[in-house]
Amino acid sequence: MTGPTYTARTRPQTQQTLTTLLPLLDAHKLGSDDWTNLERLAYAALDMGRVDVADKCLTRLLAGFPSSPRVAALRGAILEASAPDAALKFYADVLELDSGDATIWKRQIGLLRRLGRVERAVTELCTYLDTFYSDAEAWLELADLYASCGHRYTQSLHALSHAQLLAPQNPFFTLQSAETAYTAGDLPLALRLFLAVVDMSDGDDADRERDAPPMGVTVRAWFGVKLCARRLKVEVDVGKGRGRESASGTESPKHAAVLEELAGERLRVAYSSAGRAGEIAQGRGEVFAWVAASD
Amino acid sequence: MSSSAVSLYLDPQIRDWVLFPITLVMILVGILRHYVVILLQSPPKKQPREVIREQRALTQSGVLRATAANSPIPPAFYKSISRQLSGAYEAGTYLKDGPPKKGDTPPTAPNPLSDPAAMDGMMAGMKTQMVMMVPQMVIMGWINFFFQGFVLIKLPFPLTLGFKSMLQRGIETPDMDVRWVSSLSWYFLNFFGLNGLYRLVLGDANSADSSRDMTTTPFSALAGPTAPQDFNKLFKAEISNLEFAEGMYKWSAEGVEDRILRKYGKITA
Repeated sequence: MTGPTYTARTRPQTQQTLTTLLPLLDAHKLGSDDWTNLERLAYAALDMGRVDVADKCLTRLLAGFPSSPRVAALRGAILEASAPDAALKFYADVLELDSGDATIWKRQIGLLRRLGRVERAVTELCTYLDTFYSDAEAWLELADLYASCGHRYTQSLHALSHAQLLAPQNPFFTLQSAETAYTAGDLPLALRLFLAVVDMSDGDDADRERDAPPMGVTVRAWFGVKLCARRLKVEVDVGKGRGRESASGTESPKHAAVLEELAGERLRVAYSSAGRAGEIAQGRGEVFAWVAASD
Repeated sequence: MSSSAVSLYLDPQIRDWVLFPITLVMILVGILRHYVVILLQSPPKKQPREVIREQRALTQSGVLRATAANSPIPPAFYKSISRQLSGAYEAGTYLKDGPPKKGDTPPTAPNPLSDPAAMDGMMAGMKTQMVMMVPQMVIMGWINFFFQGFVLIKLPFPLTLGFKSMLQRGIETPDMDVRWVSSLSWYFLNFFGLNGLYRLVLGDANSADSSRDMTTTPFSALAGPTAPQDFNKLFKAEISNLEFAEGMYKWSAEGVEDRILRKYGKITA
C-alpha cells in the first residue's frame, strides 16, 4: 500500500489507461476499486501531460482521503509537473510534519536531482539510506548519481556494493559493479566481478553448458571478461611487474591470456548459434572482427 | 437408552424463541464487535526519522553478516563497511538522542505505567478487551437469567459420557442422554465455534472472534516490540557479532577464475 504498482511507461499503454479510466471523473459514486483507479488515472494523465485531468482526480481524492500520505505523494507529483519549486516547498512542509515519510522523501530527492541540485540530492539520499538501509533501488540511484553527475566511480562502486549485499543473487547488480569498476580503472576487480556474473548466471551442468550458447547477461559479462583480460594481458606483457595496481587490493589474474581466449570462444559461440541467426546476423561481423583482433 | 431418548420432547417454540435467537445474537454481536474495533483503531503513530534510524540501524550489520561466509563484495569493501559500522555502534551515532556524553548517567528503563507512549498502546489493548468482554458478559447473563436449565437441541449422533460436563452445563442430571445440549453449553459452543463463520463473512483478518482474545491481556503488549529497548546495549553487543562475522568472511569471487577455467576445461585439477 505504498503507492501505485509500477507499470511499464510505454506511451500506448498509458494512453489506453487514460482513455479507459477517464469516465471515472464523471462517475457520481465510487466503489472501493475506483479510488485506486482514480490514482492510476492521475498518474497516467501526468505521464501524458494532461495536468488538468490529474488535478480533477486530486480534488476528488482529497475530498475522500484528506490526510492520506498516498494522496500527498500524488499532490507532490502534480506540483512537480506544473511548478517544481512549489513542489519542493510542499515536500519540505510534509517532511517537517512527518520526517519519517519515505515516499515523500524519495520524491524530494528525485526532484532535487532533476532540478540540478545534485550535491543536495546526494546528501539527502545518503541520509535517507542511513535510515532506510534496505532500499536497494535507492542504492542504485545513489550509484548512478555518483557515476553520472560527478564521475566519482569509486564512491559509486561503494554504493553498488551495498546493493549487492542486499541482493547477493542478482547478477545485474554485480554486472553494474563490474562495469563501474572497469570505468574506475580497477581492472583486476572488474575481471573478478565479470567472472562472478558468469558464474552466477551460468548453469552448473558443465557438459551441457559448454555446447549451449551464452544468453542475455552472460554475453555482456563475457564481453567484459574479454576487455579486462585483454588489457591486463597487455600490461603484463609490457612488463609492469605483476600487472596493474588495484585500488581495492584485488590480485591480478594468473591466467589472463587463457581467460581472454575462453571469452573469445564463448562470444563466438554466442554469435554463431543457429537458432538466433536472423536477429544477430547484422552485428556478427563486427563481433568476430573484434574478437579476432586480439587473438 | 432409546427409551430415555423418546421420553423427552422439545417444544418447537424453544427452537424458534431460544435456540435461534441465541445463535443470531451471538453472530450479530461478533460482527458488531468487528466494526467497533475498526472504529477504535487509531492510525499508526508517525515516527520521526531518528527513531526509525535507531530501530533499523541493526539491519545494516545484519545484512552485512548474513552473507559474510560467501560475501558478494571484495575484502577491502567488506572491511571498510564493517569497521565503519562498529565505529558508529561504539560511538552511539545511531542513537536517537545522539551519542551519549561522558558525564551522563546511563538512562534507566522507564516505568511502562508512567511512560505516556507505552500507556497509549496499553489503552488501545484495554479498549478492544472491553469491547470483547462487555457484550459476552451481557449475553451470558441474559442466557443465565432467562433460559437457565433449558434443553435446546439434541445432537444427531451419540457421544460418550465424558462430554456431559461440556454439553449439559447448568443441568444437574446424572442420567440424561449426553446428546441433549443445555442453553449455557450452546452459548459456549457458539463462543468457540463461530470463528469459521466470521472468517467467511468478514474475511481472514477479522476481529469478531472473541475466544482468541481470552488468552491475551493488555499487558502482554509490553513484552512485545513496544517494550523500551536499550539500543546502546544492543549496538555494543552487535560489535562483537561483526568481529565474529569478519573472521568468517570469504569473498564469493575468491576462486572464481579457477572455477570458470576448470568448468570449460581450460585448466585441469
